[in-house]
Amino acid sequence: MLTLHGIRKRFGSTVAVDGVSLSVKRGEVFGLLGPNGAGKTTTISMAIGLLAPDEGRVELEGLGAPTDPRVRAHIGVAPQALALYDDLSAEENLRFFGRVYGLGGAALAGRVAAVLEGVGLSPRGRDRVKGFSGGMKRRLNLAVALLHDPPMLLLDEPTAGVDPQSRNNILELVGRLRAEGRTVVYTTHYMEEAERLCDRVAVIDHGRLLALGTVGELVGAHGGRPTLALHHGEQVRRIETDDPVPEIARALAPGGPPLTGLAIERPNLESVFLHLTGRSLRD
Amino acid sequence: MRPILAIAMKDLRLLVRDKGAAFFTFIFPLALAIFFGMVFGGGGGGPSGIRVALVVEDPGPAAAALAADLAKATGLTVTTMGTRAEGETAVRRGKADACVVLPAGFQEQADNIFAGQSMRIEARVDPRRQAEAGLLTGKLNELAFVQMSRGMTDTSKFTGMLDRARSSIAAAKGLSPQRRLLMGALLDTLGGLNEAQARLQADAEAPAGGAEAASGGGFTWRPVTVDVQPLRPEDNTPQNAFEISFPQGIVWGLMGCVVGFGVSMASERTQGTLMRLSAAPIGRHQIILGKALGCFLACVLVQGLLILMGTVAFGVHIRQPALMGLAVVSSSLGFVGVMMLMIGLMRTEGAASGMGRAVVLILAMIGGGTIPLAFMPPLLQKVSGISPFSWSTLAVEGAVWRGFTLGEMLWPCGVLAGIGLAGFLIGLMAMRWADRG
Repeated sequence: MLTLHGIRKRFGSTVAVDGVSLSVKRGEVFGLLGPNGAGKTTTISMAIGLLAPDEGRVELEGLGAPTDPRVRAHIGVAPQALALYDDLSAEENLRFFGRVYGLGGAALAGRVAAVLEGVGLSPRGRDRVKGFSGGMKRRLNLAVALLHDPPMLLLDEPTAGVDPQSRNNILELVGRLRAEGRTVVYTTHYMEEAERLCDRVAVIDHGRLLALGTVGELVGAHGGRPTLALHHGEQVRRIETDDPVPEIARALAPGGPPLTGLAIERPNLESVFLHLTGRSLRD
Repeated sequence: MRPILAIAMKDLRLLVRDKGAAFFTFIFPLALAIFFGMVFGGGGGGPSGIRVALVVEDPGPAAAALAADLAKATGLTVTTMGTRAEGETAVRRGKADACVVLPAGFQEQADNIFAGQSMRIEARVDPRRQAEAGLLTGKLNELAFVQMSRGMTDTSKFTGMLDRARSSIAAAKGLSPQRRLLMGALLDTLGGLNEAQARLQADAEAPAGGAEAASGGGFTWRPVTVDVQPLRPEDNTPQNAFEISFPQGIVWGLMGCVVGFGVSMASERTQGTLMRLSAAPIGRHQIILGKALGCFLACVLVQGLLILMGTVAFGVHIRQPALMGLAVVSSSLGFVGVMMLMIGLMRTEGAASGMGRAVVLILAMIGGGTIPLAFMPPLLQKVSGISPFSWSTLAVEGAVWRGFTLGEMLWPCGVLAGIGLAGFLIGLMAMRWADRG
């Protein structure tokens, strides 16, 4: 559906994206993960045609590059910033963006009602956005992306800073979008969201693609071995092992410190992420 | 075109809903125009009534009495002037609505109203002020009638008037005997009435009777001729202070539009709505044209509102409506260019609302926002040429009171259109440059 062919982008002396190639399949939810400053935003900006790559090319299957406005009509974007007009009502925001996307008349009215219903904001449609909570704004931000019924969506941190109810609503909505056969590119810092939603995940850092695959593949390749955590009172001892039973037996043997608890920590996407991108802080 | 219109309409809606921006764009300029108009001595034909320049060319008792009555009359503000030329100049320059002249021979006419003469009063009125002319004519007739009544209730004066009339009839050569007889009978009747009135006045003990006689002793015929002539005002002078203060208000309205739209574009950048618009299936040029159209319409709207208010409520008279249209359109184009320059160079809300506002404010001040162009010393007038606001003021004043021809109007309008085009192109290039970085 969306293919990046060795895209490269430089701002002055800084290389923001350094030869990223990947392909997003039709109908999948594709996670794009990376720490702050990894090059995600620049990659996304090129994927939706806001920036033209210095090298390489971006192609939307059978349509061409998204720098062409006609190609962009097939993409819905929910930016990380709440890109809404606070002094307009939810309906007015939707009607405005709908007109920009070429909708009008009964079709526009129908889509406005449908997306408001979809994000659970129908009763607040006529209220000004400035009175909305963060979660409501996030949902409306997503509704704008869905307005023109695009086959492909790019959702940039769609659950950032929302309450659990709104988050659940958004995650359920993304699940429905996948069920409808839409392609979704999803960026997030919440690893459990990526594990729950994404069919495949790409991890990028320093402008480079570090890993790409299903969550299982990535965990298998980069997650390391399971960890046995042995609790001796306040102290916790961690042992990487594929066979925890002998270690547990040793811990229970007389003469050692008393064992107060134990847990087996299986590798997950977060451990993959930290393994690939390191534990140093990114500001 | 549809997305461009959608963006323009959205921006206008946001402008109106932003209380601060709406205040500084629509309310503040109007308040300033009214305030400065009052300060500079406005008021026109409004609350203080019809402004009359009175010229007395025959300083007899009749003229003095009429002048005193005029001064006391409600609805008139009378200023006595020395000569007819001064009075007419006041009307031409909009300092008076009418010039009333009590001409030489007025006293003689007043004394001989039964000898075929009538009191002739001349009035020179701005032809645009037809309503005031009608009111003034009525008021002059009324006062002359009062004057007449006074003359007739003064029995000795009235006797003198009848005697002069009899002498005139006796001396008249071409009068037929029948007509001479009829007029003599009329004068005898009037004389009888006058004697009866004199006896009544002598018998009356109470002084109040005089007042009753004064008000009730009238004879109904037209005692006065008011000769109303139009007096074309000078085209190249403001007719009232609001004709200066409303163009001044327009400066502030345009400033409100430019700053409002400049800040809104910067906030679109920081809020992410510009990014969302850029990701839509429209070209960058459509987004910019939408913004430009919104700003253009806001500029037209604020100018239209001020012109309408000035015309309807504050006596601003637009001498050349077609040229005013040209001035409004070219001013709007010019300030779209200023707005484009601002959004190209000021990338953040802070820069736009701080530095951008400050620069525009200074340009507005030297462009006629504080001291009207007409009152500026020549050097400052030349300096103000660097401000687009001064060209806009000049164009608007050109259509209101400067009496510009089309050729003269093309100069400020051309400069404004040039500013618009240059600002648009430079702003566009600055935006492209910044987006590339």
